[in-house]
Amino acid sequence: MFRKTIATIALAALCAGASAEQTLVIKGSDTLGAKLVPQLKEQFRATHPDVNFEIAAEGSSTGISAIIASTADIGMSSRPVTEKEISQAALNGVEMKSIVVAFDAIAVIVNASNPISELSADDVYLIFTGQVGDWTSVGGQPGPISVYTRNTASGTYKDFQKLAMNMDDYAPSSQKMAGNEQIASEVAKNPNGIGYVGLAYTEMPGVKVVVIDGSTPSKASVQAHAYPYARETYFLVNAKKVNPLAQQFIDFTLSAEGQQIVDAVHFVPVN
Amino acid sequence: MSKNRSSDDGGKPAGTKKGMGGSFRSSRLRFMGLDSDDVVRAFFGGNATLAIVVLVLIMFFLFREGAGFMGQNATELVTYRQSGLEYVDYMRAEVDTFHELPRFLTDVESARIKALMADGMDLKAAREQAKSLHELTAGLRKIVRPLDRFVDGLSDYAIRMRDEYKTGLNKAEERANFLGDAEKARSRGNADKAASLEASGADVKVVGVDFVQKRRYLLSMQPEYLRLNEDLRAGITAMLDTLPYDDPVIGRKMTRLREKAASFIAYTHQTEARLANWNADKPVPFLYRITDFLFGRRWITNSFFQDWYGVLPLLYGSVLVSVIALLFAVPLGVAGAIYVNQFSCPQEQKFIKPYIEFISAIPSVVIGFFGVIVWGQFVREASGWSIFSWIPGFPIAERLNAFTAGSLLALMAIPTIFTLAEDALNNVPKAYKEASLAVGATRLQTTIRVVVPTALSGIVSAVLLGFGRVIGETMVVLLCAGNRIAMPDISEGLSAIFQPVHTMTGIVAQEMGEVVPGSIHYRALFLVGTLLFFISLLINYLAQKIMRRYSIAEK
Repeated sequence: MFRKTIATIALAALCAGASAEQTLVIKGSDTLGAKLVPQLKEQFRATHPDVNFEIAAEGSSTGISAIIASTADIGMSSRPVTEKEISQAALNGVEMKSIVVAFDAIAVIVNASNPISELSADDVYLIFTGQVGDWTSVGGQPGPISVYTRNTASGTYKDFQKLAMNMDDYAPSSQKMAGNEQIASEVAKNPNGIGYVGLAYTEMPGVKVVVIDGSTPSKASVQAHAYPYARETYFLVNAKKVNPLAQQFIDFTLSAEGQQIVDAVHFVPVN
Repeated sequence: MSKNRSSDDGGKPAGTKKGMGGSFRSSRLRFMGLDSDDVVRAFFGGNATLAIVVLVLIMFFLFREGAGFMGQNATELVTYRQSGLEYVDYMRAEVDTFHELPRFLTDVESARIKALMADGMDLKAAREQAKSLHELTAGLRKIVRPLDRFVDGLSDYAIRMRDEYKTGLNKAEERANFLGDAEKARSRGNADKAASLEASGADVKVVGVDFVQKRRYLLSMQPEYLRLNEDLRAGITAMLDTLPYDDPVIGRKMTRLREKAASFIAYTHQTEARLANWNADKPVPFLYRITDFLFGRRWITNSFFQDWYGVLPLLYGSVLVSVIALLFAVPLGVAGAIYVNQFSCPQEQKFIKPYIEFISAIPSVVIGFFGVIVWGQFVREASGWSIFSWIPGFPIAERLNAFTAGSLLALMAIPTIFTLAEDALNNVPKAYKEASLAVGATRLQTTIRVVVPTALSGIVSAVLLGFGRVIGETMVVLLCAGNRIAMPDISEGLSAIFQPVHTMTGIVAQEMGEVVPGSIHYRALFLVGTLLFFISLLINYLAQKIMRRYSIAEK
């Protein structure tokens, strides 16, 4: 009797262990984690119903440090991993591998009531670095510019510095918002606001996408590399120890079906 | 109900009475030499000890993680100097300062267009009217462009040098790890593993950076810099001669611009002197590693150029928000306490007290959410009403600002201040009040002249504890304070309270998730936490001290 109980407990523990292996932990970019990955998850679970997902989307840096600390199976990032982070990972015995899963474009948005609909890349640089502080300078209605940026955990924060700001620091007067949604809603409510968001957020009411140097962010312009503020988004894994389930999920993302979802949530498919 | 209780009571004393007298009873349950009383005492004592131990551990952890900042910061600062980033930073500062000139001109242009539009002109015509100003600004920006490009090039060079150096350090550590593991494996007699580890270690390529040699290029560019600086000054002087000083509308502003330009030209000379005297090997003063944090005016993280961890703008934000909160909470809380304690009838007391105390039951995230959705929007709309137009800075641009956050935080301070102040008033000996009334003072006189002054120490400590409650609050400020990390612009005066700020609690909550444990950024956040801890400690200490020192013994 006693032995039987022990055996049952052991079996239960084993089952619990086995089912725990079926949990896929995905951490990182808010850009990827807000819509794309949850949608991919839904489709993926149609064929793998016993897989649990744990998705935390708090910015690309959190995804990268999660891979470095081995606390996630897949990291999501909207910026390339830096040399510094790769060597940091190597210190922890992690070989960082990044896989491009989609393109994303960063759209510059202003309030719908703003008379400006086109800016040059130079104007954008001047505005976000704080070298101009008034809409008059770029041909708009007089009024102080309110700059909204993502916070430092975000991959978009750094990518935008690289793509649009010549790697300079943001204006000290810029306000750091937690996500795309917050930027869009602040810009929608502030007639003098300007900010940047992922393509998926350009259809929020009250905001207007700015044409940059004559190019509008769209699937075609991004794939043709015509739009200046476009970037690759990545899944990250530890190449030394890839969870087989994670590999299946990545393969699914890159399949035709996965890329269709990429398209549906306003990212640009890789091919 | 009462029947139940009595039967319970009836059961227990019988047991305990026997137990007390019967320490010699052999049937008494003993466990490891302790009887039940000892066990109960040990249970409570143990809990108290455990709480203290946990607190000490938390403090120790906080200090240990924070203290590492100083050493790392010293290394960072040395690297900053050695790699020549500091050298380039002087030039960058000069270019940044220059940009204040075109910004000033734009402000003039903006004001001009606004005035013209107020006179009934449409935007296009007004812009046309102010066109000469616009061209002037564009011309001014053009003057600095060559220097700007030059400094950008040098920045990129210095950044690359620094990054190469840091990667080299990481690689060296990685190799040392491999070799250390190999050593261990060998001592355990596992030669194969040791060999493979050694091979991996050898694979790690460590590229050292020779700062002295690489810096030579930076320094060799100094004549070029001096030439560009000379051009810049000549450009500015030439431009100053063409300004419309006699213009009836903007003439005064032009004179102001000339003054600003003159002080900028003086600044360029200073920069040149600094660069000439710059010495990469000058040691960083020992104290600078901590004063850089405590008095630093820049909190810039994740920068391509150089990260700065100066807590001052965050401290300013925290204090400003708390002071705004207290401006609301102190009158409301203290006056409420005085009313409830001195004037209200029992029915009112029964209603008001629980009601105010209920406020503290609202989760702070709910208050923050309310602030984002409703209150912030309302504040901005209200700032546009004509009755408020006399307030400087109105109408405000940002709905999320120090005022929005502070006024909401007042809600969280009111229950604390109210309850503690009411307690203090309650503690005033009855005899004081009665004596005052007996000599013929009215109730109002008694309250204002006797009761409140007597309870003042308690009220002050209530306010201090309210302050402590507010400065440690995180959720509301994170959502509603606007998250702008900047020192206040003194020229804005009082309208600074309607500017967005960032706070110490907010920054820890916002950036903790992204930092790599052990990095300098991680330690800086812990140091912010330590500072908050000390501020709270100081506030609580003061509150208790004031309470004890000035309170009147009741007996």
